[in-house]
Amino acid sequence: MSSLVKCPHCGSRPREEFTVRGEVATPRPVAGADESIWFDHVYLRDNPRGQHREYWHHSGGCRRWLVLDRNTVTHETSNVVDASTLKAEGRA
Amino acid sequence: MRDFLLNNVSPFPAKPDANGHAAVHIAPVSAGFVIHVLGNGAPDESGLTKVLGDIAPDLGGGLRSPSPGQWFWVGDCDISQGRFAEIAGHMPAEFALSDQTHGRVRIMLSGAKVRDVLIKGTMVDLADDVFAVGASAMTMIGHIGAMITRTDVECFEIMVLRSFAESLWHELDQMAAEFNQPHGI
Ligand SMILES: [Zn+2]
Repeated sequence: MSSLVKCPHCGSRPREEFTVRGEVATPRPVAGADESIWFDHVYLRDNPRGQHREYWHHSGGCRRWLVLDRNTVTHETSNVVDASTLKAEGRA
Repeated sequence: MRDFLLNNVSPFPAKPDANGHAAVHIAPVSAGFVIHVLGNGAPDESGLTKVLGDIAPDLGGGLRSPSPGQWFWVGDCDISQGRFAEIAGHMPAEFALSDQTHGRVRIMLSGAKVRDVLIKGTMVDLADDVFAVGASAMTMIGHIGAMITRTDVECFEIMVLRSFAESLWHELDQMAAEFNQPHGI
C-alpha cells in the first residue's frame, strides 16, 4: 500500500492520518427518479480494477475532505484535490 | 457567550522534572492562551495578524494554521475571560473566536536530541530546510493528534487536546528514554 498521500493543504502525509469514505458516486439522481436508480446510487458500488476516484478525510491533519485517484491494483494515489472544488465545479 | 467560568487546570504531573532526560527536556506550558480563530470565506493570515495586532497589541503571540482558513492564536500571557469576550466582540465579521485554553495544552520539547525523539512518533519531515523555525503542522504522534511547531532550532512545541495530554506526555517520555543517563550521552 502506498503509504504517502499528498494532501493539497498539508503536503505528504502517512496514510494512517486519513479516513477513507469510499467512491465518489455518480451525480445525484433527480428527486423523482425511479426507486431502482436511487437504490443503485445509494447502495450499489462498483469494484473496479485500476483507477478509482474516492473521498478521503484528512482526519489526522487539516480535517478537510479530499477527493483523489487510487489505483486499486497498486494503491498509488494521485490527483488529490479539496472536495470543495467538486462543489465549485457542480460535480457533487 | 457562556455564563460559566472555564477552569484551566494543568493535566501534567506535578513534578515534570522527574521526567527530565539528559539530551531532551520535556516541560509543560502552564501559562498562556490558545484561541481558535475560524475564518469565513478566504481570509488571509496577514490580514488576521493585523486585526489581532490592532485589537490586542499587548498580547503578541503567534498564529499556527491547522487547516485552510483556521488558526490557533497562541501566546504566553494569561487572558481573563472578560478580556477574551472583549477581543471577540471587536473581531470583524469574517472571523469567529473560540477560547480553547482549557482544552488544548502545550508541551515544550527541547535539547540536542529533540528531533531524534519526535521522529519516532511523527512522519512529518522535521529537517532544517523543510521544517524551519516557525513552521507548524497538525499531525499525529503515534495515535494521538497533535500540532507540532518549531519554536527554535532545538525546541518544539507540541499542542494536544487536554484529555490526551497525559497519555502523550507518557509517550514522549518513553520516546526520550534512550537519552536517559548514563546510556544516552
Ligand atoms: Zn490535510
